[in-house]
Amino acid sequence: MEDLLVDARGLEPPEPLERVLASLAQRRPSQRVRLLLHREPFPLYTLLKQMGLTYATELMPDGNFCILIGDPPLSRER
Amino acid sequence: MSQAGLSYEQAPPYGLPLRYFLTAPLFLQLAAVAAIPGIKDWTSDPHTLAAIALTHLITLGFLGMVMQGALLQMLPVVLGAPVPAAGWVARLGHTGLTLGALLLAAGLYRAQATLLHLAMAVLAIGWLPFLAAAAVSLARARTMSRLTLIPLRLAWLSALLTVALGLWLAAVLAGILDPHAIERGLGLHLAWGLGGWVLLLVMGVAYQVVPMLQITPPYPAFYARWAPGVAFAALGLVSLATVADLPALGDLGYGLIGASLAGFGLVTLDLQRRRRRRVTDATLLFWRLGMLSLLALAPLPALYLKLPGEWQAPTAMTAGLVFLLGFAASVVNGMLYKIVPFLAWFHLQSQTGARAGTIPNMKEFLPDTQAMRHWRLHLAAVLWLIPAPWLPPAYAAPGLLLLALSAHVLWRNLLGCVRLFRRYGGRLA
Repeated sequence: MEDLLVDARGLEPPEPLERVLASLAQRRPSQRVRLLLHREPFPLYTLLKQMGLTYATELMPDGNFCILIGDPPLSRER
Repeated sequence: MSQAGLSYEQAPPYGLPLRYFLTAPLFLQLAAVAAIPGIKDWTSDPHTLAAIALTHLITLGFLGMVMQGALLQMLPVVLGAPVPAAGWVARLGHTGLTLGALLLAAGLYRAQATLLHLAMAVLAIGWLPFLAAAAVSLARARTMSRLTLIPLRLAWLSALLTVALGLWLAAVLAGILDPHAIERGLGLHLAWGLGGWVLLLVMGVAYQVVPMLQITPPYPAFYARWAPGVAFAALGLVSLATVADLPALGDLGYGLIGASLAGFGLVTLDLQRRRRRRVTDATLLFWRLGMLSLLALAPLPALYLKLPGEWQAPTAMTAGLVFLLGFAASVVNGMLYKIVPFLAWFHLQSQTGARAGTIPNMKEFLPDTQAMRHWRLHLAAVLWLIPAPWLPPAYAAPGLLLLALSAHVLWRNLLGCVRLFRRYGGRLA
């Protein structure tokens, strides 16, 4: 299943958080959300933990971050 | 680089930083009002007890208060570095700073040793647990944004030196210790407090929040890596020159401090000019004033001792006003207008699990129009007060009233945000 992409690079807080929460609410069962952001979103991790979700963060070569969010256990493979 | 499943301690409850943020404007207001009756005691010379008392109402009561609260919030949330026993540290820190700043100011104003003894003990309680907890957090920090860690660690060291020198100076003033070398101690306390703790902390925080909140490119990597170390080394040179009586080394150190002020001001202004979001809000304006103030101050460390004797006291007063109000208070105000409404939104979201649109957004928590009203009053107060040390004492009074009013507007703006948070069922604890 395709990941739901949220490109929040360059948006002012808390818009990235609002967008990713909206996407998590809209996603299909077991679908993952892929968030692209210009910084590491520590506050989001707190919310994800409360929601029982898992995440994997990767620093991309261009300095942006890619955060993959899904139900545990989170598979990094498509 | 991946960090799946890392366990981050929860963000501290809203009430934790908020107790600091809601107390701080009251101290700025108190400093402004308390400065009016004895106006001629402090405008003439920054070394009078009245001037030192007022300075500490601002540095401890306003700046130190917000900075402790902001760090307790930012270390776990922005850097992923939990602060041990954060609740206790905040209770001790907030109480210690509140009572300590009041006791110190009263002790200095009335030149009373008993009050100064008490102030020393209470301020030690306000700072030492905080510094110990921050040390653990900064040592454990696991973040991809390591550039921020360096200035924050150097700011921590500077804070430790500032507090130690401050306690020593208070002991001298209280008659416990021998007063020889008090002038040197005062100079170093000032240098490490303002040039170390305040400037380095603002640099470290700016590396994170300027790109994040003002949507600018990141600080250039070369600059970000070296600038904090240069500023810290400059303070080290100045200290060595002061202790060992080496004026040439002192000149180099002061020159480098000036270059650090100018460098940080210029780089930040350039980033703001290249921001992707073209909106001009109160935070941007507060930060711009802060950076312009640094540029204005930059030549001073090198030039100060070369000025004619009668110019030195008013120049030092003016520089103090530009640094404390034009730079430090401005960036603190700018930050508060982002942190406080963001945390209101974040905690309400987290506590209620609300869907988008069912709780107020950041702008509704703290409308721009209210922040801009505060910005205009703050700017007017700063511009009015800057020439005050060169003019008859009575000139400063309207500027102080403007400052008190602007601090009151800040307090009301923050309080309004918290009230809205409570109205939607938000919990502070």
